[in-house]
Amino acid sequence: MLFLSAHDGASPISALNEQLLNLTDRLTEALALATDASALEDVRVRFLGRTGEITLVRRSIGTLPPIERPEAGKIINAAVAGLEALVDTAVSALAFRALDAELERYVDVTFPGTTRAMGSLHPVRRAIEDTCSYFERRGFAVVIGNEIETEYFNFDALNIPPDHPAREGLDSFYLRPGLLMRTHTSPMQVRTMQAYPPPIAIVVPGKAYRRDAIDARHSPVFHQIEGLLVAPGIHLGHLKGVLTGLFRDLFGPQQAVRFRPSYFPFTEPSAEVDTTCPGCHGTGCKTCSGSGWIEIGGSGMVHPDVLREAGYDPHIVTGWAFGVGPERIAMVRHGIDDIRVLFENDPRVLAELA
Amino acid sequence: MKLPIAWLRDYLTIDLSTDDIAARLATLGFPVDDIVRRPNLSGVRIGRLTRVEKHPDADRLQVCTVDIGTDRALTIATAATNVAAGQVVPVAIIGAELVGLTIGPRKMRGIASQGMLCSAEELGLEGAWFEDGIMQLETTLPIGADFIEMFRLNDDVLDVEITANRVDTMSIVGLARELAASLGVAIVEPALAVAASTTASDTHAITVSIESADCTRFVGQRFSNVTVAPAPFWMRVRLALAGQRPINSLVDVSNFVMFETAQPLHFYDAARIAGGTLVARDARAGETMRTLDEADRTLDARFLVIADAAEPQGIAGLKGGATSEITSATTEILVEAATFSGPRVRRMSVALGLRTEAATRHEKGLPPGLADWAAARTTFLLESLGATAHAPFAVGAPLAQPAPIAVTLDRIEALLGMSVTAAEATTALGHLGFNVHGASHSTSLAVVAPFWRGDIRIAEDVIEEIARIVGYDRIEAVMPPVFDHAVPSQAYRDERRVAHALAAIGYREAISLSLQPATIAQAYARANVSLPGDVLEIGNPLSEDQRYLRFSLVPALIVLAAKYRGDGAYRAFEIGRVFADAPEPNETSGVAWLLALPRGEDPPWRDTGFLQFKGESEALLRVLCGRAPETVTTTLAGWHPGKTASLVIDGDDAATVGALDPRLLAAFDLDARVYAGWMRFSDLPTYRVPTYRVMSKFPAVGRDLALVVGPEMPAKEIEHVIRDTPESTIVDVMVFDEYRGSQIADGRKSIAVRVVFGRHDATLTDADADAEVAAILERLRERCGATIRS
Repeated sequence: MLFLSAHDGASPISALNEQLLNLTDRLTEALALATDASALEDVRVRFLGRTGEITLVRRSIGTLPPIERPEAGKIINAAVAGLEALVDTAVSALAFRALDAELERYVDVTFPGTTRAMGSLHPVRRAIEDTCSYFERRGFAVVIGNEIETEYFNFDALNIPPDHPAREGLDSFYLRPGLLMRTHTSPMQVRTMQAYPPPIAIVVPGKAYRRDAIDARHSPVFHQIEGLLVAPGIHLGHLKGVLTGLFRDLFGPQQAVRFRPSYFPFTEPSAEVDTTCPGCHGTGCKTCSGSGWIEIGGSGMVHPDVLREAGYDPHIVTGWAFGVGPERIAMVRHGIDDIRVLFENDPRVLAELA
Repeated sequence: MKLPIAWLRDYLTIDLSTDDIAARLATLGFPVDDIVRRPNLSGVRIGRLTRVEKHPDADRLQVCTVDIGTDRALTIATAATNVAAGQVVPVAIIGAELVGLTIGPRKMRGIASQGMLCSAEELGLEGAWFEDGIMQLETTLPIGADFIEMFRLNDDVLDVEITANRVDTMSIVGLARELAASLGVAIVEPALAVAASTTASDTHAITVSIESADCTRFVGQRFSNVTVAPAPFWMRVRLALAGQRPINSLVDVSNFVMFETAQPLHFYDAARIAGGTLVARDARAGETMRTLDEADRTLDARFLVIADAAEPQGIAGLKGGATSEITSATTEILVEAATFSGPRVRRMSVALGLRTEAATRHEKGLPPGLADWAAARTTFLLESLGATAHAPFAVGAPLAQPAPIAVTLDRIEALLGMSVTAAEATTALGHLGFNVHGASHSTSLAVVAPFWRGDIRIAEDVIEEIARIVGYDRIEAVMPPVFDHAVPSQAYRDERRVAHALAAIGYREAISLSLQPATIAQAYARANVSLPGDVLEIGNPLSEDQRYLRFSLVPALIVLAAKYRGDGAYRAFEIGRVFADAPEPNETSGVAWLLALPRGEDPPWRDTGFLQFKGESEALLRVLCGRAPETVTTTLAGWHPGKTASLVIDGDDAATVGALDPRLLAAFDLDARVYAGWMRFSDLPTYRVPTYRVMSKFPAVGRDLALVVGPEMPAKEIEHVIRDTPESTIVDVMVFDEYRGSQIADGRKSIAVRVVFGRHDATLTDADADAEVAAILERLRERCGATIRS
């Protein structure tokens, strides 16, 4: 574009160009002086607003010969676009400088964070849930029974002889003759089998009661998870498999399971269940008294008398049952050496273990 | 059960370490609770004192010349007073290692002493259980022999846990047999002797009769010419290692046979049995006797006694009587090897608070055949001590020949999940003393259990025996298939959902003991708060702290809140059972949650803590039910009568939430604003999956209304009236503030409500909203007496 001065008798167009050039210079100067958003806005209004300088220029079109007016309009519009671009550039440059300033700021990232109140599940519930979830994934139902139980389901139906010491009130809490606080969650074995036909695949978490004085290792109220699988063709190898999977789930992939012969009236054969000590992965430590194994529960093949009591034919179905202690699992997991810690519910401890 | 390895080795040649023996026992089902490590003794010989003289320069020392089978006798000075020429004693030579000391040469008042004569303590035995001074050995022992080696004094002692079904292994022979079977060898059986029939001239015969079904069998045997003296050293040392104090030859034989075979025995002084008769019968009420522990006991029909013509001479299986006790003058004895009802013995033991080695065996139910075996063993031992045995006799049930049990290889595999050959099964059972019939190629075995195995009744029992010996480790871990079944998990899943929802809104789960002391109910009484029902009491509590079952989950949460020392809010919940005694003992499964806030300033008509707690509780119910609850005023004992609400879903009460009764909080010394919720799982509504609702794409218009209403006008009513119009663009109504005070006249209250309007098809105009607001205000004026706050 050719800019000519209007004063020296040159064409009016060139005078317009001269005027616009001058306007551009002054706008650029004003933008350079504006240091914040409102100053920039002032500049925009002063030059490009309705009553701004550009409007004066536009008005001057009327003084031009009609033939030159369209050309002048184009020149002015192009110039306005250029001027607006200058302002926009200045605005975004200012915004960027503001972000740069924000980027300069910093905080002490080690300063303690704040949060809303956090809830948590009790470590014993988590042991129960993790165990039950494992079994639910394998098609087991989870049932919970009453804590008040009849002597029939707590003892008789489980092949515990009438003269067994547990019945005499030294080991069990009685409410009435024939009615007691269940000493294990095993009564749900026969209750479930009597209510449903085989196959049965259940785990039974819940509280149990024993007449034990409270100390580091005993509590008169504690939890148990009973497991029962009864179907044709079920054997001890399946129990070893399932429990190996469980302890790998709970304690890690290095876990193995060892059975040791034992005795329970409601299983035959019976086995104590040991698993690799999670503390030392089997090399021996204080937790496992150097043996590399920890005792984790009792188990066995359901005694034929129990199956018969439930109305099942021991020649058609076989099954196993096991019991593990969620307190034990929680204590091993968290390195707790006193069961009372679990029932104190100290909020500091619960927060720590959550 | 103490198992001295020294004694074990009488029946089994075994060169395993102590730890290996313990590990092997554990794999057989006999975990070792404790290992008593013996001191590492050496350098002790069997020596004879050939001469004993007073020390020339010391009144209290004696100088012994000691033959230890070497060319030159040793000179040893000792301060012990029980030494005499001719005695055979343990002699520690120079360099010997004893308990806490090493023997070196030393001068004792000018005489070079070349060793030391040993007392029990120096050899790691209980000092009071042996001679006061130097231990005395039989003079027939080989002079110069290694004393430690001969009596295996360095062998450790295991404390073995015995399961209730294996009374036969409450014995050294029983455990030896288990170990032998697992090693695939047989044990050396203890030597037995059976006396010939009694001579016709025997005038001291004692007749025994049984009048109680709880004495199933009584094997009796008389011995003449018995002498009461210290038992042989080998017997005394075995008893001592097993934890039993040696007394005299007769008592020691009795104990030795019990530890060896598991069958407890009782020895009567036959001359002191009145009338020459014994009868096993129930004691008579008020009958008295003095037992061996010098206690005078008054008996009743609970007790089974062995009585002579005059009085009880023993409490069956528990304790002998003092009248017929063996004394140094005893020459004639009757040995009792009897089988009593285990439960009866246990009940007597509990009644008297008396635990004896005999009772711990009897109460597990001894197999009757053990009695005859133990009598034969006793005969061998007493005869070796010079006694004359008369023929044994048995009263009561004859020994039954056990019926063979059929066990198929298929059944073994079906239960164990591993295959066992007939040969393996036969070998395993054979070493345990079972008789197995069935050819090696047979798939079915006929198994007869040995007489000491009263626990073997069915095929599964036999299969466990096979598994124990073959080894549980051989069972391979495999996953069972997944079975289809109909058992529901709903109750558990409800608990889980509730626990997770409460944790998600900031509550920490507590698990407390469901047994509690009387002080909880007493606190309710102090607070004048009624209990939900009759408190259920344990019939046989162990302590006052655990006498009652909890009637509510709330007190434990209050106690925890009272203990809370943190700043700000305390939130906790518990899921569990609560109990009541009427009409029958019953239990209810539920959940309680509690919010405790520091004291704050609220005008009497406002409780911000309540609103916060209610909001959290509504959120809980919303998550649990899939729909929001309504709030209805309610009351519940333990809760503040003016600040308690029922959360209602579909017209049914689901939960109760509110401020706790301040009197209750005072009774528990809890100074805070405390709110609690309680829900029975039976009241938990079924979760309903929420249905999708289209949200408007057009902006909504919100208007805040400031109303003045009467002080009793519930927010819910205002919300209801606002919404109660057939055609409306109302999207949401929320009462969000309340004010009472000087700026509001006549005790009325100001309520701020936000009403949100919107349309699904277009942006709502201000004019539309204004028209709606005008209609709303008219309804409120008419139905709630509301005016606009100026």
